[in-house]
Amino acid sequence: MDETIIQLKQVSKTYHTKNETVVALDNVDLEIKKGEIFGIIGLSGAGKSTLIRSINQLEVPQSGSIRVGAIEMTTLTRKELRAARRKIGMIFQHFNLLSSRTVYGNIAFPMEVAGAVPAAIKQRVLELADLVGLSDKLTNYPSQLSGGQKQRVGIARALANRPEILLCDEATSALDPQTTHSILKLLRDVNQHLGLTIILITHEIQVVKEICDSVAIIEDGQIVESGSLVQLFLNPQTDVARNFIRTATNDKIPENLRELIHSRTGAGNLLRIFFHGEAAKEPIITSLVRHFKLDVNILFANLDFIHDTPFGSLIVDLSGAEKEIPAAIGFLEKQGCRIEVLNGVESTTNQSVN
Amino acid sequence: MVWNPQLINLLINGLWETLYMVGISLVIAAIFGLPIGVLLVITGPEHIHPHRMLHSALSTVVNIGRSLPFIILLVAIVPFTRFVVGTSIGTLGAIVPLTVSAIPFLARLVETNLLEVDGGVIEAAQAIGATTWQIIGKVLIPEAKSGIVLSITNSAVSLISYSAMAGAVGGGGLGDLAIRYGYQRFQPDVMLATVVVLVILVQGVQSLGDWIARRLNHR
Repeated sequence: MDETIIQLKQVSKTYHTKNETVVALDNVDLEIKKGEIFGIIGLSGAGKSTLIRSINQLEVPQSGSIRVGAIEMTTLTRKELRAARRKIGMIFQHFNLLSSRTVYGNIAFPMEVAGAVPAAIKQRVLELADLVGLSDKLTNYPSQLSGGQKQRVGIARALANRPEILLCDEATSALDPQTTHSILKLLRDVNQHLGLTIILITHEIQVVKEICDSVAIIEDGQIVESGSLVQLFLNPQTDVARNFIRTATNDKIPENLRELIHSRTGAGNLLRIFFHGEAAKEPIITSLVRHFKLDVNILFANLDFIHDTPFGSLIVDLSGAEKEIPAAIGFLEKQGCRIEVLNGVESTTNQSVN
Repeated sequence: MVWNPQLINLLINGLWETLYMVGISLVIAAIFGLPIGVLLVITGPEHIHPHRMLHSALSTVVNIGRSLPFIILLVAIVPFTRFVVGTSIGTLGAIVPLTVSAIPFLARLVETNLLEVDGGVIEAAQAIGATTWQIIGKVLIPEAKSGIVLSITNSAVSLISYSAMAGAVGGGGLGDLAIRYGYQRFQPDVMLATVVVLVILVQGVQSLGDWIARRLNHR
């Protein structure tokens, strides 16, 4: 799991149009481990598409190194590049199926290109159609399929030559939420059963949250943050990360509560407690009440899951022995919680309430 | 108008000459026009095999071919016609200019057909590791084949129309019949009969092309 399969070093790409110069990738460094699902998220125009397409050289960067396995992709001859591409599957936002071929013909296409014998092609097509659940659609043309079914054909086609890597270029962006969910589940399945490394780009944090192990956030051609998914959600470092996470988690504080928070000027007795993992399973509030002479009034709570890790936050109003509050905060932090004081003199993190 | 055997004979003869001229020209035009259309597309900027020199050279030649009115082309290339088929008159002498005019016509139409193939599909083929030849043979042409059939149909109809001018070099055919008998000999019945046959011919060719194109289209 820890073996690096894709490594980008100082990759840069600039586009020149008549009137302007656009920096699509600005010295991007990236490392993707074998067998993981790696998400690259960014707003449109951030450079994520250029980034994923540089991995199989559909976009050729001006500088930098891109290694896939043991192969340096940027220095290959045309012939070597074709051979390397056969080991990198790719699926697309608009599926890009051949309208002149049936489902069977589309799945067979990469094997024909690679020069496989018909008998081997047939066996593999049937196997893949079964894997993606389209065994009964083999003689249909793409125009007769739904979006989700088209993407399933896309996935089967991408897997035909048994690649080690699958690139997903906004693969679910043209699909409705339910279909997105089923496609992501299929990707998760092939990741687990075939040990396939998956790199996906998206502008939807829900997609990342649902299946990614690791995430990189790209903004203006630069990777501004990267790490494990859990780490990103619990401890985002940048505004752009926080913005994405906010849209994915239901932790918006109701308006009336926000007014209350802003009107408080007294001591720091209004807290937001962020918890995750083990801390979520502990009765922290009960312990708090037991250890300190404080009453706890829960004003707001939310809980979410990233894979199997629960995480969430509570807004509590503490009253009673208010001089014990700093000690109580220390106690909570020791339990693995992160605390924001929402009012009073200690308030320094008000901005993150919004 | 009397359906005398003589008129019917003339018509059958003219129809046969037209079919002969158009058929042979069309086949040869397709043999040259299709590859030129493909080359025009793939050598274009941003396509699978950009080559600016070749692209503009081909484009210029095609434009020249397209800019000559057929009747001018017919006489302008007489030496070439004589070189290719040994004569510049008769049905054979008409086939060469017909073909020469149909090649650039068809090439341009095919170019348009191929440019309509979704760039994403071509990109998918590149990502799969397909060679330029494989992309042409397995993606571009199959994806555009329905449109290409319509383009060939269009060329056939144009050739039928141009073949009427073949009379100028003694090429015969239905158009020639209409001019010589219908117009110059004041035989309106021949004129009318020729027009009717021409209309039915064009109608038939178009319907056949449409039918094949529909069968090939899975979009």
